[in-house]
Amino acid sequence: MATIVDIATEKALEVKNFEFTYAGADEPNIKKLTMPIAKHSITALIGPSGCGKTTLLRSFNRMHDLYPGNKYGGEILFKDRNILGSKEDLIKLRTQIGMIFQKPTAFPMSIFDNVAYGLRLQGLKNKTELQDRVEKALQDAAIWQEAKDRLRHDANGLSGGQQQRLCIARAIAVEPEVLLFDEPTSALDPISTAGIEELVVELRKRVSIIIVTHNMQQAARVSDYTGFMYLGELVELGRTEELFVTPKEKLTEEYITGKFG
Amino acid sequence: MSAIIDKIFANATKFIAIGVLLLVAWIFTVLFEHSLESIEAFGFSFLTETKWAPNLEKFGALPAIYGSVVSTFLAMILAVPLAIGVAIFLSEIAHSKIKTPVGVSIELLAAIPSVIYGMWGLFYFVPIIRDIFGGIGISMLTAGIVLSIMILPFMAAVTRDAMNTTPDILKESAYALGGTKWDVVKDIIIPYAKAGIIGSFILALGRAIGETMAVTFVMGNVHKISADLTQPATSIPVTLANEFAEADSGLYYSSLFELSLLLLVISFTIISIAKFYFLRRKRIGQ
Amino acid sequence: MTHTQKRIITNKIVMFLSTLSALVGISFLLWILSILVINGIDALSMTIFTNGGAPPGNENGGLKHALIGQLMLFAYASLFGVPLGILAGTYLSEYGLKSKLAETIRDISDIMMSAPSIVIGAFVYAIVVAPSGQFSGWAGSIALMIIMLPIILRTTDDMLQLVPSTLREAAFALGAPKYKVIIQVVYRGAKAGVLTGVLLGVARVAGETAPLLFTSFNDNFLNTDMSQPMASLTVTMYNYATSPYEDWQKLGWAAAFILSMFILTLNILGRLFLLKKRGK
Repeated sequence: MATIVDIATEKALEVKNFEFTYAGADEPNIKKLTMPIAKHSITALIGPSGCGKTTLLRSFNRMHDLYPGNKYGGEILFKDRNILGSKEDLIKLRTQIGMIFQKPTAFPMSIFDNVAYGLRLQGLKNKTELQDRVEKALQDAAIWQEAKDRLRHDANGLSGGQQQRLCIARAIAVEPEVLLFDEPTSALDPISTAGIEELVVELRKRVSIIIVTHNMQQAARVSDYTGFMYLGELVELGRTEELFVTPKEKLTEEYITGKFG
Repeated sequence: MSAIIDKIFANATKFIAIGVLLLVAWIFTVLFEHSLESIEAFGFSFLTETKWAPNLEKFGALPAIYGSVVSTFLAMILAVPLAIGVAIFLSEIAHSKIKTPVGVSIELLAAIPSVIYGMWGLFYFVPIIRDIFGGIGISMLTAGIVLSIMILPFMAAVTRDAMNTTPDILKESAYALGGTKWDVVKDIIIPYAKAGIIGSFILALGRAIGETMAVTFVMGNVHKISADLTQPATSIPVTLANEFAEADSGLYYSSLFELSLLLLVISFTIISIAKFYFLRRKRIGQ
Repeated sequence: MTHTQKRIITNKIVMFLSTLSALVGISFLLWILSILVINGIDALSMTIFTNGGAPPGNENGGLKHALIGQLMLFAYASLFGVPLGILAGTYLSEYGLKSKLAETIRDISDIMMSAPSIVIGAFVYAIVVAPSGQFSGWAGSIALMIIMLPIILRTTDDMLQLVPSTLREAAFALGAPKYKVIIQVVYRGAKAGVLTGVLLGVARVAGETAPLLFTSFNDNFLNTDMSQPMASLTVTMYNYATSPYEDWQKLGWAAAFILSMFILTLNILGRLFLLKKRGK
């Protein structure tokens, strides 16, 4: 059994006996995983590649449903319901739980249209309101200064770090309650990375954040809680400062001291 | 010794490669030379004259040009939506278990010679058109439909390939904002793959306009301009296929050569637009 | 109705229409394929391969003349077209590289690959048939060769470029002259790809009808003299199918079936070679 620290605050999500099997695989990729996710906090998921951290992350917004044959088991509770149910409204779920990817994914349209995209999907047509919400999202994502004079320009003209912040702006424009970050800085240079990390910490005030990272320093720098996963199971979930200093599990200690990875 | 062979090999390959360019230039020159008699006799009116009467030594290409344009246009109108539908189905809807077999069969169908589409048209499709619209069933409409079926596999396959160039992560990003499949197709995939999709349509257009065998069976080779699509008609390649082996005078031949030259120039232009404007060649290593 | 509900309904409609158009498209294609197989198999018999053409009404008509004619036209076209295409492709990939000349040759070949084949027939008519005063097998072969050339040239070029340059450099480092590097290292590395290109190019040409109509023309009897008009499966198919005689039409379907199977086999073989290469 995993060592799981008590979470003092409210929970944003609760994973209970969760299992996940990829299409065509015999063995589940994630086995009987139980884990709380604290509200208005940053939870980092770390672990060697193939441990299932990204698979778990992509289950929170049911991204796996895009590819046929994948199977979920157990429960993920969000707002008192199990989001793994077959009747779950995926469109609504995905507006409540946003996602940022490994690489910046600016859509082939202008900066403004990128940020307005999710809002327009929800039916927001009022020009001034769109304008306001886009501006606010860009400000919150700390890219307003760089983008304000070229809102109508193609978003692919921005640098990698700027594009990733644009993607964050796009995600927070629809005001999700949870944001999933899938190794958001793996394609960025150190300076852009620092900028994104700062932004993530800032965003915690408004959304609950789960961040998958292969970079332990990053987890230590930004997160409140850290979960260490190994071979599809959660080994330990602790307060970040405790987990990195005094891990309770031997396996965690071996991983963070670099004995394997 | 090695050095000499090396030089010979290098120059031989270069010579042959340049030969390909010269061959193309030669094709244009020969067609032009053989068209001269007709060009001198009719001048520009060759393109605007509606009468094609070998017995009177009068040759006007307008009916053939009209037929080429209309039959190709019909084919495109029918094939484009179908090709987009098939491509969306193959890239976004189909389960992976049927995606591959259906995709491969469509590619294989693109390899079936056009003469077979023509035969199918003549024996199986002409009677249907005859039953619905009356007349003999050999018509502009029949030609357009058969042509559309013939270019469909090619068009669907290349449209799908263009759509598949959209990175998964970009599509996932749109789904992650609550987009539906159609939202993702129209807002992400189509804008992303726009150039490739339009390019492949134009390329298909270029092929359709030069297509001979699929239409020769079902068009009738009648040099008449009629707004009634259920009437027999002709096109440039249909005229060439039917009359080249039978032409009996210098002027008749020359007119057919002028038609060939015209067809080559039209196709060359359309294909060049597709290639240079929309489908910049992917160069390996770039 | 909320905007999102509208989106969901629109999505369902469009997905339905796409699936429907896929079904329509695929059923048309299945229709063609099934009549090809049904009529083809129905018309197949041993006599088709042993007997030559016969006048309509004669039960003993076969396709031997067209099969042999087709093979000869095709063999001579490949005999020249394949090596010339490979050598020209070699120039582009190994010597021309990104030079202006090489790029122009690539562009023009790309265009020629989609150019109307009947025009090539007209060209060959002008340079071969008209001067010699008669239709001939040679004229047909030359037309097919011209059509084949750009296809083989471009696939060879692409496939040779896939060979990693480190492989070439390693061979050069051992002191091998360039032609030996190309023949012993580059060709060997790109073997499967080039073979695929050749198979697909040859398959493309095998179904050509238009450029043969007024070059090799046709002959309803067996002829192996390349300087005379020569039967081919495709032109025979065209003539028989458009004839009013039922037994000829039947033979036309048999020819269509044989030709399609031949072309599909070449295509499938080509794909298998590529798959095998990727599998390595």
